[in-house]
Amino acid sequence: MTQNKTNIQSYITIQNNEIVLNGTSVFKIEPTDFADFSKQAYRNFEMQYSKFFKMDALSKLAFLGSELLLSPITSTEEENNIALVLANKSSSLDTDVKYQESISDKQNYFPSPAVFVYTLPNICLGEISIRHQLKSENSFFIFDTFNTEFMSNYSDILLNTNKADMVLCGWVEFFKDDYKAFLCTISKEENTKFTNETINTLYNK
Amino acid sequence: MAKGVAITGMGIISAIGNSVEENYLSLIENKIGISRISNISTVHADVIKVGEIKKTNDDLISELQLNDDNNFSRTAMIGTLAAKQAVENAGITSINEFRTGLISATSVGGMDMTEKHYYDYFEKPELVKYITCHDGGDVAEKIAEELGLKGMVSTISTACSSAANSIMLGARLIKTGKLDRVIVGGADALSKFTINGFKTLMILSDYYNKPFDNNRKGLNLGEAAAFLVLESDEIVAKQNKKVLARVSGYGNANDAYHQTASSENGDGAYLAMKKAFEVSGLKPSQIDYINVHGTATPNNDLSEGRALKRIYEDEKVPDFSSTKPFTGHTLAAAAAIEAVYSVLSLQNNVVYPNLNFETQMEEFDLTPQTYLKNKNIEHVLSNSFGFGGNCSTLIFSKS
Repeated sequence: MTQNKTNIQSYITIQNNEIVLNGTSVFKIEPTDFADFSKQAYRNFEMQYSKFFKMDALSKLAFLGSELLLSPITSTEEENNIALVLANKSSSLDTDVKYQESISDKQNYFPSPAVFVYTLPNICLGEISIRHQLKSENSFFIFDTFNTEFMSNYSDILLNTNKADMVLCGWVEFFKDDYKAFLCTISKEENTKFTNETINTLYNK
Repeated sequence: MAKGVAITGMGIISAIGNSVEENYLSLIENKIGISRISNISTVHADVIKVGEIKKTNDDLISELQLNDDNNFSRTAMIGTLAAKQAVENAGITSINEFRTGLISATSVGGMDMTEKHYYDYFEKPELVKYITCHDGGDVAEKIAEELGLKGMVSTISTACSSAANSIMLGARLIKTGKLDRVIVGGADALSKFTINGFKTLMILSDYYNKPFDNNRKGLNLGEAAAFLVLESDEIVAKQNKKVLARVSGYGNANDAYHQTASSENGDGAYLAMKKAFEVSGLKPSQIDYINVHGTATPNNDLSEGRALKRIYEDEKVPDFSSTKPFTGHTLAAAAAIEAVYSVLSLQNNVVYPNLNFETQMEEFDLTPQTYLKNKNIEHVLSNSFGFGGNCSTLIFSKS
């Protein structure tokens, strides 16, 4: 296995009603709930993808971040070998609770397939894959906190074993309107912009 | 050809047995584990059939000798039982002697306790302890604690391919020298949450599931846990350990088609198998038995069958069967129990029957193996596909 240096190409952070792309605030609004924030962000960046509106909050969060990182670099003509390696703390708990509420009252029993399909954390990986037609490797991990050493090791192994040309790696946490997304693209391509940064330092910025 | 990562121990609990031996006997004696549900009270009890572990939570608590103040979910209890068996089977007496990790898969986590106690939490303070066991990661933490394992612990949740990804990650951690030893697998207990969810998606069969049959009506849910111990060749040599079989190939790909349905031509499944062949250095024709995902939903079997036809092109698809008529679909644990069955197939040179099959599907000429077949088995391929388009393939080889 050839150990080539891998480099962070771009990163994005979404939290507190703000989107920060490569260190620059690109979208910020007055405090509101995530449903409103995500809708406004979607409109602001003129994302033309109506499936967005049926996604659960976790998928919307992951979608917004990946959209801004991947859309400029993915091609519709050729295959994009970009692996997805995401993690969070609360899995799909936010949607699990919503679905659970819909089935726990016998008098008011309305299980919805549209909600149930989102009761798994990796569905957000599916949404990103469908959007960018990524048939690449993908995994969703659950850690107590963002395990940056593990995540960067995992990404490096994928790149150094040529399993992927690029890895979209990060943390997408959503529970009860408390959210934080941190996503970055990593590849072997040289990039001096973030030479002194790691996933860890960027995540904590 | 790469040698693959050594498997030195296995443990399992499922609807067809509480040990590796019991599971094997059920498989070769056609003893199915599908029945009416008895541990969960549900309005669907008279309609659905499930693969249930015939032990109550109290049985499991006493078997594991847990204190009264424990907050184990059922998933964590069956997971702990299987993991302990695997560690014992691998002859491990000192768990932290080498760099040892645990990668556990689940999709249900502690949902069984949440749905049971959700509305009582305010009134009954003694139940509040169960809130923290809901988290998917809690299962792996509990298992690690019971094993006394202090190394790396992680949970993977990628729906029904979760355990395949846990085995794959474990194999890669050994290959890259990050760990010396890793316990990999998964656990999922039955819960109303999944029963109602799959019922809502209208993919539950009201009868015994019939994989790859033209008249299949859907799946039976099941519950199970299984773990395997993977060890580096250095550790194996040092301890002169018996190698049960090897993980020789693995692949994962996304179907990029739909949140829950598989694509028409099985793109994700095809790519996962293709990648697994690349990793193993094997040709498709070298596979002696395919343990298909075969959930018996109209969508899965059609998509998986088409992917198999694509992988084998003009060649004959080898003997294949789904073991889900025995166990039900055990979701995040499925790839782990089927990994144990794959190793048993290699050890005993058998192809398990695909029970309940009657009529070949009209879309292609694929007929599963319908009775127990004895023949030499060198390589077994096992598929597991999950919601979110997450498709994984594992290849196991004789040691």
